[in-house]
Amino acid sequence: MQRHEQAVWNETSSEGYEPLLSEKDRTTIDVEFEELPDELTRESLELPALSEPEVARHYTRLSQMNYGIDSGPYPLGSCTMKYNPKFTEDVAARSEAAVHPDRPEEAVQGTLQLYHELQEYLGRIGGMDAVTLQPPAGAAGEFTGILVAKAYHERNGDGERRSEVIVPSSAHGTNFASAAMAGYDVVELPGDDDGRVDLEALRSAVGEETAALMLTNPNTLGLFERDIEEIASVVHDAGGLLYYDGANLNALLGRARPGDMGFDIMHYNVHKTFATPHGGGGPGAGPIGVTEELEPFLPSPQVEARNGTYELVEPEHSIGKVHGAMGNWLVLLKTHAYIRRLGDAGLRDTSAKAVLNANYLASQIDLEIPFGPFHHEFVASAGERDAAEFAKRMLDYGVHPPTTKWPEIVPEALMTEPTEAESKTTLDQLAAAFNAVADEDEETIAAAPETTSARYIDQTSAARSPRLSWHALSDDA
Amino acid sequence: MSYHTQLSRTEETETESTGSPFAPHTEADVEAMLRAVDAESVEELFDVPNSVRFDGEFGIEAASEREVVRSVVETLGRNESATEFLGRGHYDHYVPSLVDHLADRSEFLTSYTQYQPEITQGFLQALFEYQSLLVELTGLEVANCSMYDAATALGEVATLSRRARSVTGDRVLVPDALRDERRAVLENYVGGTALAVEEYPTAAGVVDPDDLEDALDDDVALVYVENPTTTGLIQDRLEAVGELLAADDVLFCLGSDPIALSLLRTPASIGADAVIGDASVLGLGTAYGTSLGLFACKEEYLRQVPGRLVGASRDESGRRAYTLTLQTREQHIRRERATSNICTNQAWVALRTAIHAAVLGPDGLLDLAKECHRLPEVLARELDAIEGVSAPVRDGYHFREFRATVEPDATELVSELYAEGFAVHAIDADTIQVCVTDANENRAAELVTAITEVLD
Amino acid sequence: MDFEIPTELRYAESHEWADERTDAVRVGVSDFAQDELGDIVFVELPAEGAELGAGEEFGVLESIKAVSDIYAPVAGTVVAANEAVVDSPELVNEDPYGDGWLIEVEPAGDLEHLLDASAYEETI
Repeated sequence: MQRHEQAVWNETSSEGYEPLLSEKDRTTIDVEFEELPDELTRESLELPALSEPEVARHYTRLSQMNYGIDSGPYPLGSCTMKYNPKFTEDVAARSEAAVHPDRPEEAVQGTLQLYHELQEYLGRIGGMDAVTLQPPAGAAGEFTGILVAKAYHERNGDGERRSEVIVPSSAHGTNFASAAMAGYDVVELPGDDDGRVDLEALRSAVGEETAALMLTNPNTLGLFERDIEEIASVVHDAGGLLYYDGANLNALLGRARPGDMGFDIMHYNVHKTFATPHGGGGPGAGPIGVTEELEPFLPSPQVEARNGTYELVEPEHSIGKVHGAMGNWLVLLKTHAYIRRLGDAGLRDTSAKAVLNANYLASQIDLEIPFGPFHHEFVASAGERDAAEFAKRMLDYGVHPPTTKWPEIVPEALMTEPTEAESKTTLDQLAAAFNAVADEDEETIAAAPETTSARYIDQTSAARSPRLSWHALSDDA
Repeated sequence: MSYHTQLSRTEETETESTGSPFAPHTEADVEAMLRAVDAESVEELFDVPNSVRFDGEFGIEAASEREVVRSVVETLGRNESATEFLGRGHYDHYVPSLVDHLADRSEFLTSYTQYQPEITQGFLQALFEYQSLLVELTGLEVANCSMYDAATALGEVATLSRRARSVTGDRVLVPDALRDERRAVLENYVGGTALAVEEYPTAAGVVDPDDLEDALDDDVALVYVENPTTTGLIQDRLEAVGELLAADDVLFCLGSDPIALSLLRTPASIGADAVIGDASVLGLGTAYGTSLGLFACKEEYLRQVPGRLVGASRDESGRRAYTLTLQTREQHIRRERATSNICTNQAWVALRTAIHAAVLGPDGLLDLAKECHRLPEVLARELDAIEGVSAPVRDGYHFREFRATVEPDATELVSELYAEGFAVHAIDADTIQVCVTDANENRAAELVTAITEVLD
Repeated sequence: MDFEIPTELRYAESHEWADERTDAVRVGVSDFAQDELGDIVFVELPAEGAELGAGEEFGVLESIKAVSDIYAPVAGTVVAANEAVVDSPELVNEDPYGDGWLIEVEPAGDLEHLLDASAYEETI
């Protein structure tokens, strides 16, 4: 069985951890500047003053105390952690790409052309009529989409009455938060016993107060909502709009499109589906696609092509802006290059291999998987064991564990998404890790992890007495 | 070996290309895997009704890496090459090479959010150091590990003022010189609340406490002041503003950036409750608006902070360790009652900012900030000497940029300068704005010559 | 698992207890509730003088992974909030019926609608 030993830098410091920059050096300088009045400047500045070689070693060590998809498999359910080809980084690092956002449109035709092409690609991939690239993350896309729905209803004189957004109980937490940020009351929709939308519950939940239903498909259990057309007509008949959460789009690339299923608005998590690296938590990008009817409400500006030139245009009833510029352009540029590299065949193969990998991995692990048939991800149950502890033990086998304890419909959930980018050999290694942990005694599992930079970390004391900067650690040993 | 064989086959016979170059399966693998799941074909695994299956084409042709790079770079080449003297909230500074080399290490770049802290200590520590940098620069006790950009950070501060128990009122006051984009984003963030955004009058962004006092009443929840202003001026009466807003029930938010904060009065010392801004002035630059939202505030608002926070703790063996903390504020736990919907943030940009600051150290940061004051003063003086240009260096203390009055039409001047390879802002019919930093100062003399010639 | 359910207290189905033996009615959460939540890391309580309706949400208990609203078992005016649990949230876990009490309320009605210990035990 493969084991994974991560860098533990206790040999470099007597404290047993990698010292902070501020512990390696802390220099206070007086701020003196005769060209500005004293009352406009600060008195002193206290920061680490290290030489460049020391800074290089510091961050190299920190990188060795970190785990990425290039280190090994990372099957976090709902996160779509796949291999990120490196050439997209080179393209995004080009100096021609690093222009100022206030450049006039005629001076950035290349950038705008790539924006326009990506708008088109995403529109075709999602089956949507128009796309904005402005939202800087998936949650920002949700917020934008709900603002578009709100503007649409208000335009129809229906804004006051339509005060509710319906969200299935198994949805991503962002759905609830985004709808609430836009000022909506959130109505939680219970699922049925099969893990899908309960049509009867939906029928009783929708009404003339309904602004939208937000749905992920395949849902967080990896299940396709087979009744999607019926769901769409229930929502549409009530005058509501149907919103697609694109977190799980990897499962459907080239096989089914939200626009064809009746969705009016969708967001794309391009940092998931289209392999722009997640960077330890971002930046991502969350473009949204809409039907023709909703296009006039999109954020401003949109990029339009006229006779071979690209223009920035304000949609007629635009909701305004959701980002201070044009969104996370560098991420969008990587997305564009990745989609071009794959093309139609590659995109279709992506969903094929993602679904094959999830099904194969599930078939190799000795844990109960209560719902199916699933697609790109599955939710196994750790059974009698605590899913969080189970996951910690998996770290010792050189793999990143799945998402744990969610969705709650599966007890002690291990939500697993291997993506298309893992080989059969790696999947076998992953399955072996699951099965090894499943066979271990409670004591061993509770003692994990043993091979990571830090052992089990005390979350409780971190939250009870928050210490959020090196200033709060001055007396720390 | 089979992996390489398959890749080269895909490249050589494009017409037979059936797959993703990043899915490492051999045909034998696929067959074995299908057998294991008891399926004849992959198609069988899709539980999708026929009525919503997609059988069409996207019309996107696959291409080799070489072809894609060539094509995208060629398209980017359509951007006019120009030396930018542009600012107004988005600033370029030289980014040391070390930043790219360290931040691009794939253990950082290809990791996810630190949901398993034991195996992601490296990134957590870097983010903790980023938070610490902001705490030092702002003098406030809490900084989160990023928002998307300054505009969305401003929106988040406004909604925080709504949630904070001590703050009352429905009006958000912003300077009349605020960038339209920031105002527009703010309007959307407060759209779901009872808050209304209003302007207070300024002299090109510089606050007169008396004018601000006139705009204040019991119903004001938040006052936002930028230092330096969008126009490039350093505020000179912030202490009086702080005193004016010292009442508990108004939140005083300052907009700034890490370089300006290295030199200027600390927000804490003038009574600011929160600081927002663009932190990517270190580490990234303008990047067509890809940014890093700075967010810091007083400890009393800790439970209302949006986004992720990294805290120090200990592991089982008693060693210091870091972890995401106070997560009950966030959407994955508190859902519709979360402090924000933010999930994915700008962590990798924060890493770059932290590395850039570490390379500079306190002396380097302070020197850079001083340059940001000297360079515009010098350039303004030179432009002021040109006939037809008035660039009063004594209208205030400048940081990175300044406005100049010109004749004839400013828009015309700006487009003629474009033709000469220089980008500057046209503000209105007779005003331009020029931003000069360490990134473009080497071309400043040529800009002076170009303006002289165009106006000649 | 056995949970402590003192017979001298009254209980709400939402797991708060009320003790009317003190001058004002003292309120906390049950042993079962603290166990369900896990290690409590943050307690938010109302200010003194706050008016509460019966069943109204009056505060929040947070653990690492969960947030729980707490509801007033009885209507009335808050006359004291336990500052000790705000500073040391672990008191709610360690001593839910003692030092881990939350607020004291000058009641506006009686406690007749609440469950006695045996009826509460059946609900959990």
